[in-house]
Amino acid sequence: MTNSAPAVVAKGLTKRFGEFTAVDAFDLSIDAGTVVSLLGPNGAGKTTIVRMLATLLTPTSGSATVCGHDIVSEADAVRGKISLTGQFAALEDNLTARENLLLMARLRGYGKGTAGRVVDRLIDRFDVGEFRDKLVKSLSGGQRRRVDLAASLVTQPELLVLDEPTTGLDPRSRQVVWATIRELVQEGVTLLLTTQYLEEADALADSIHLIDHGRSVAAGTPSELKARIGDQRVDVVAVDSAGVDTLAALLGARFDITVTPARRMVSIPAPDEIVDLTAVADLVRTSGVAVDEVALRRPTLDDAFMALTGQPAETQAADDSMAGVAP
Amino acid sequence: MTATATLPVAHVADHDILPSRPNRGIRYVRETALLIGRGLRMIPRVPERLSDVTIQPIMFTLLFLYVFGSAIHIPGVRYQDYLLPGLIGQSMAFGVIGAGVATATDFSSGVIDRFRSLPVTRMSVISAQVVGQVIEQILGILIVAGVGLALGWRPHMGVGGTVELMLLVLLGLFAFTWLGVLAGMLIRNSDAMQGIGFAVVLPLSFLAGTFVPISGMHAIPRAIGEWDPLSALVAGVRQVAQGIHSHGSWQLDHPVVAMIGWCLLITAVCVPLALRRFRTATSN
Ligand SMILES: Nc1ncnc2c1ncn2[C@@H]1O[C@H](COP(=O)(O)OP(=O)(O)OP(=O)(O)O)[C@@H](O)[C@H]1O
Ligand SMILES: [Mg+2]
Repeated sequence: MTNSAPAVVAKGLTKRFGEFTAVDAFDLSIDAGTVVSLLGPNGAGKTTIVRMLATLLTPTSGSATVCGHDIVSEADAVRGKISLTGQFAALEDNLTARENLLLMARLRGYGKGTAGRVVDRLIDRFDVGEFRDKLVKSLSGGQRRRVDLAASLVTQPELLVLDEPTTGLDPRSRQVVWATIRELVQEGVTLLLTTQYLEEADALADSIHLIDHGRSVAAGTPSELKARIGDQRVDVVAVDSAGVDTLAALLGARFDITVTPARRMVSIPAPDEIVDLTAVADLVRTSGVAVDEVALRRPTLDDAFMALTGQPAETQAADDSMAGVAP
Repeated sequence: MTATATLPVAHVADHDILPSRPNRGIRYVRETALLIGRGLRMIPRVPERLSDVTIQPIMFTLLFLYVFGSAIHIPGVRYQDYLLPGLIGQSMAFGVIGAGVATATDFSSGVIDRFRSLPVTRMSVISAQVVGQVIEQILGILIVAGVGLALGWRPHMGVGGTVELMLLVLLGLFAFTWLGVLAGMLIRNSDAMQGIGFAVVLPLSFLAGTFVPISGMHAIPRAIGEWDPLSALVAGVRQVAQGIHSHGSWQLDHPVVAMIGWCLLITAVCVPLALRRFRTATSN
């Protein structure tokens, strides 16, 4: 069936903790079957937004519906439609991976036999088999994440919410999680994903909301945002400032360069990645200029903030001290 | 009612159909049972919790019976018969620590959040916590009683007395478990809970006439012991189980009534606070 109703509509969603405004009049609309990413630094308010949508926090003001149900007045109905994988794996350390999944399946309402079947399919699908009977406390971070993801999928959620699913994972485990997410997306799951990595939002999302200080500072498809941020580039860092001038002259003749004298750096756009990198490296080698570094770089979250807001992202070091305080 | 939107549902794992949801009451009982099962399954896997209800009470029994007990003489009563009721009273109060640590662990680990994000009745989460803890503490008390009986404890109570004792113990465990659940939700850190719990409960249990009579204590500890709620537990159990009467303050003269009073008071204060705290714990 084709559909029209959006999976999530939030209007003016606001959350204050005492005097502190963690989320400030946030608007969001997620079409069914799409992937939306909230991208922002530590303390931006991503988790707070997600927890409000998952009915774990009550908004101070504003409203939101999930699959047509109000998150405050119809919280129980929302909980039946949504599945949340929180930022920190929420599993029982002293149960095995399989016992954890069984408990989730039973709490969702399956009978004993059916729960066993559902769980065994998930174990296959998420490659948990190898450690299914190990206590969760003895699993690695990546293994836990997989069990945690599986735990969110014991029923078919209409909206899946993943809060920083790959933070703290090594690159290999990250690839595994990405592959799983891609499969889910292909199957048509509607997904809200938070992340601190531009690369991750770019790889997975249909649209991205850049968030800082609880506000949306920019939104668009990955290609729209990248067009504004700039794509990957090659950075050449010379050993001294004389070298920078030589390199600027040499590379400027062939490419559309940017020079940052303070960092003794010449940047060259590299849409063709490795081809551009080799071309630049060849030119630098034949020039004989001594360099510290020649590297291919993708834009980072910092670049995105620079380009879109004209300021670096603030990571709220000061505010973080309040994060652990129980209200 | 809002019209339900028709959304494409992901065919994530070719799921079996979820049975339709029964009414709230049935769901509450089912979910509470599932969550109690979860708690009990973990006892043998957490060495500290296992030892809290097994080794620790056995150690206390042996230590006081054979090490300190040989130097303690209480006129007119065998030390086994004096000590065992005291240990049972003390075990009830120690329930605060067990329940507090379990609750703090759950709240700091995010597991509770996951339960709350599921469409389960919220009361079931906290009910399971309380019932599970009470079961765990009963286990501990049965072990203490079993070891005591094996080592010569001889209670003097008929069938009526036995039933009365069991009801009193259940009431005590219920009250002190709620106190522990509330403390665990407020402190939210299992190590801190353990530390604070022992720092408060252990001295109070020593002053409560658990091991030696309050009447023989120095003036200051005696004054504390006479009004220590734990004294009512210890003296109450001792009166019902052995017919030994205590004297001193009003509560020592009427230990069973005092014990019931303390338990009802603690329950009346802690249950509403804990429920409110639970409802708002993360939705500040
Ligand atoms: N319960 C709370 N009480 C007080 N302040 C809070 C509470 N929860 C969050 N905050 C504050 O709200 C702000 C947003 O926090 P949030 O956890 O939503 O950020 P985030 O974007 O998820 O960050 P991270 O990337 O570190 O997970 C932070 O400054 C945080 O300190
Ligand atoms: Mg977060």
